[in-house]
Amino acid sequence: MGRYVLRRLLQALPLLFAISVASFAILKATPGGPLAAYEGNPSFTEEDRLRLEHAFGLDRPLPVQYLSWLGSFLTGDWGYGFASHQPVLTLIGERLPNTLTLMATVFVVVLLLAIPIGVTTALRQYSVFDHVVTGTTFAFLSTPTFWLGLLLIIVFGLQLRWLPLGGVQTPGAEFDIGDRLRHLILPVATISLVQVGSHVRFLRASMLETIGQDYMRTARAKGLAERVVVLRHALKNAAIPLVTVVALDIPELFVGALVTEQIFGWPGMGRLFLDAAFRSDYPVLQGILAVSSTLIVLSNLLADVAYGYLDPRIRYS
Amino acid sequence: MRRLAIALAAFGLVIAACGQPAPGAGTSAAPSATVAATASPTRGGTAIVAIWQFPATLAAHYANQTVTTIVDNGVLEGLAATATDGQYYPTLATEIPTLANGAAKVSTDGKKLDVTWKLKSGVKWSDGEPLTSADIKYTWEIWMKDPKVNNRTGFSEIESIDLPDDATAVVHYKSVYAAYPLNFFWLMPKHLLEKEADISKTDYVRRPLGTGPFKVTEFKTDESITLEKNPNYRDAGKPYLDKVIFKSVPSSQVGLAQLKAGEVHAMWNLTEAQTPDVEKESTLALLVVQGPTVERIELNTAQNKEYTDPNSTHPVLGDIAMRKALLYATPKQQIIDKLLFGKAKPGSSPVSQGWAAYKEPQEGYDPKKANDVLDAAGWTKGSDGIRTKGGVRASLTYATTTGDQLRERVQQVLVEEWKAIGVEVKIQNQPSSVLLAGSCTGKDPRKLGTFDLLMYASTPEIDPHSTILPRYHSKQIPTQADCSGQNYTRFKNPEADKAIEEAGGTLDAEKRKAAYAKVMKALNDAYVIIWMYDRANIDARVTGLQGWQGNTWQRFTWNVQDWWLKK
Repeated sequence: MGRYVLRRLLQALPLLFAISVASFAILKATPGGPLAAYEGNPSFTEEDRLRLEHAFGLDRPLPVQYLSWLGSFLTGDWGYGFASHQPVLTLIGERLPNTLTLMATVFVVVLLLAIPIGVTTALRQYSVFDHVVTGTTFAFLSTPTFWLGLLLIIVFGLQLRWLPLGGVQTPGAEFDIGDRLRHLILPVATISLVQVGSHVRFLRASMLETIGQDYMRTARAKGLAERVVVLRHALKNAAIPLVTVVALDIPELFVGALVTEQIFGWPGMGRLFLDAAFRSDYPVLQGILAVSSTLIVLSNLLADVAYGYLDPRIRYS
Repeated sequence: MRRLAIALAAFGLVIAACGQPAPGAGTSAAPSATVAATASPTRGGTAIVAIWQFPATLAAHYANQTVTTIVDNGVLEGLAATATDGQYYPTLATEIPTLANGAAKVSTDGKKLDVTWKLKSGVKWSDGEPLTSADIKYTWEIWMKDPKVNNRTGFSEIESIDLPDDATAVVHYKSVYAAYPLNFFWLMPKHLLEKEADISKTDYVRRPLGTGPFKVTEFKTDESITLEKNPNYRDAGKPYLDKVIFKSVPSSQVGLAQLKAGEVHAMWNLTEAQTPDVEKESTLALLVVQGPTVERIELNTAQNKEYTDPNSTHPVLGDIAMRKALLYATPKQQIIDKLLFGKAKPGSSPVSQGWAAYKEPQEGYDPKKANDVLDAAGWTKGSDGIRTKGGVRASLTYATTTGDQLRERVQQVLVEEWKAIGVEVKIQNQPSSVLLAGSCTGKDPRKLGTFDLLMYASTPEIDPHSTILPRYHSKQIPTQADCSGQNYTRFKNPEADKAIEEAGGTLDAEKRKAAYAKVMKALNDAYVIIWMYDRANIDARVTGLQGWQGNTWQRFTWNVQDWWLKK
């Protein structure tokens, strides 16, 4: 097991390197570039362009630019954002708490809803409850978040005026946990309603498969209580596919929700990334991409390891 | 989903790109006589202003976003600014140096310029330190020394600055730099920054120190910026407000929703299409200010190909009859009424505002005349209704920025109109990051010459020379060797060239105005640009927020020290 993890980690290194080279190349190939924002100004001259290119190190050959970024990145210097002149680590540090608050809440809410609903629908297959849940989750699953988010804003923010329209807190007010929570409700609901759907469907399908297995009958024949049969014998096995899905959600805790953050004016990682993308702010983009690709690789590994823990039939080789 | 989000955001970006900063935007003491009291101002309170773009930095010398100016107006000041009629007024200076008052002097050979500025006495930075003439010199030095400044306009024309005393600075220009009054639009504090090796790595980037009515007390990225009253502000009775908070909203639609819900007091930058929504609310008010920005369609007179030869001729647009016909078949007023809700004026020239404004209108909408002109010039309609002449089909491409709803609608109207006179037009839009990239390396089709018809907006500075020279002098046609010019239509007129050069060599406003008028007339006589409409800057507020005034040359926060909240 230890050797397996180590080997996977070693294999990840060239993969991550390849990802960073590819993302660097794609960023550089994107038309526009970081100086495009200056060009709208009629006073901006060719001389200014050359000067800024030099100041930002953009006049060096591409391999040199890449290697110098990689070198400083590995030693903890992630560079400065072109537009904000702030260290990339500071920029990420400012947004990460907001994104973590949002996405961790979503993570918990989704699991708390998906597990009981998924199990119940499977146990009561084709009941009214099952039909209602299947219909509803399918509807939310097919709803784009940008639309759902706007709809929630219109209904709960504008018409009923129960909840604020966006942001993380009332500007200018002192820190207030109630105010924070009120701001959290709509964005969490937007993402959760969509995600719950997919998790419920996963769990329902794999629960149905599990409860048809022979060992379930054996467990019942032993005289085990139904609760124990369902939770320990059925759910533990049925949860395996869900673990993969959940483990792959982990990078989202860092990356944030691009669309939802945009709609609700949530100052998180998703907006940082989107803003940086529009400004071709290479240091910021490369920093975020490096972290998120690392997290994706690691969470894949985590999913595989968790698989082995949950299902001893799986062998690592 | 992700793509849609990007499209949504791109829409915002496009709006940002059209609304170039009015380069004369800044804070000032409002010319006090104009602040006619409708009611006596109440003191205190916090005004919240929604902004749908968030400043990456508040350091004016690094910034490249319009929204930075919106915030900086409350914090930073310079020596002078522009009133709505286009006249300069002193901010931190005692008066505007002019030839008449002797504070501006052209050297005897007519090649250099000396300008003497005197500072108001007793002005302090918001940290309590005195403002001195050394800050003027320091501002110039930083602008020339710091490699990350946005541009060096004006500063690069300065040879040296003498400081005879603490209140006086004599600026020696290498050339007759006519836009000198606005050169020092933002001053920088020497005492705070002189020891810094790299200002971009200091707190100044987010909390710049100024002499303005407010100071930055909190900067929360993508969330809010809080300004609090500057106790050292030179006008003791002002500002009336205790605080101004700029609150980030994800889009102008959400900003408008928050304004209606009472979560914010004002919002920056509405589209024309949003105005009816505000007008029907009795608690809201619009501020529509005719700005200098003009939306235009530029017609390429040279061949449509990469690094086009300026002396080549466009097979279709090379014919002036064709260019005339396109203008005659452009219903400007109808477009303004239907698509811009009447919140714009038909365009007539690149300089629609200020002392050198040229307002002679282009000929109006007359499709019959368009047909006649084309018939007379030998463009005959084929079986499909499209005209040809000598085997050349009247088929053109029409480019603008992608994702801009208003522009796309205008395109649809014009494609139909032009088809009716026998000209086939195909829409070929590109993202603003390419279409307006501004460089050959960025594949800007205007620079390369790879367009037929191209629609975009541009904002001239208060001094027209910085618009007229790079855009309409024949030496400013971008080529592979020198891509810097902005004469995108490849307009060549020796008379116009001469007039531009004359205007650039004198400070005599009357002579300059006449010379520019000559250039703009020649331009319109060549029918190379269809001036679509002069765009307005539109902002909105709740009626309880008082003291607002429009200014053509500055953004709406220019007189934030005069704002007050009705209790």
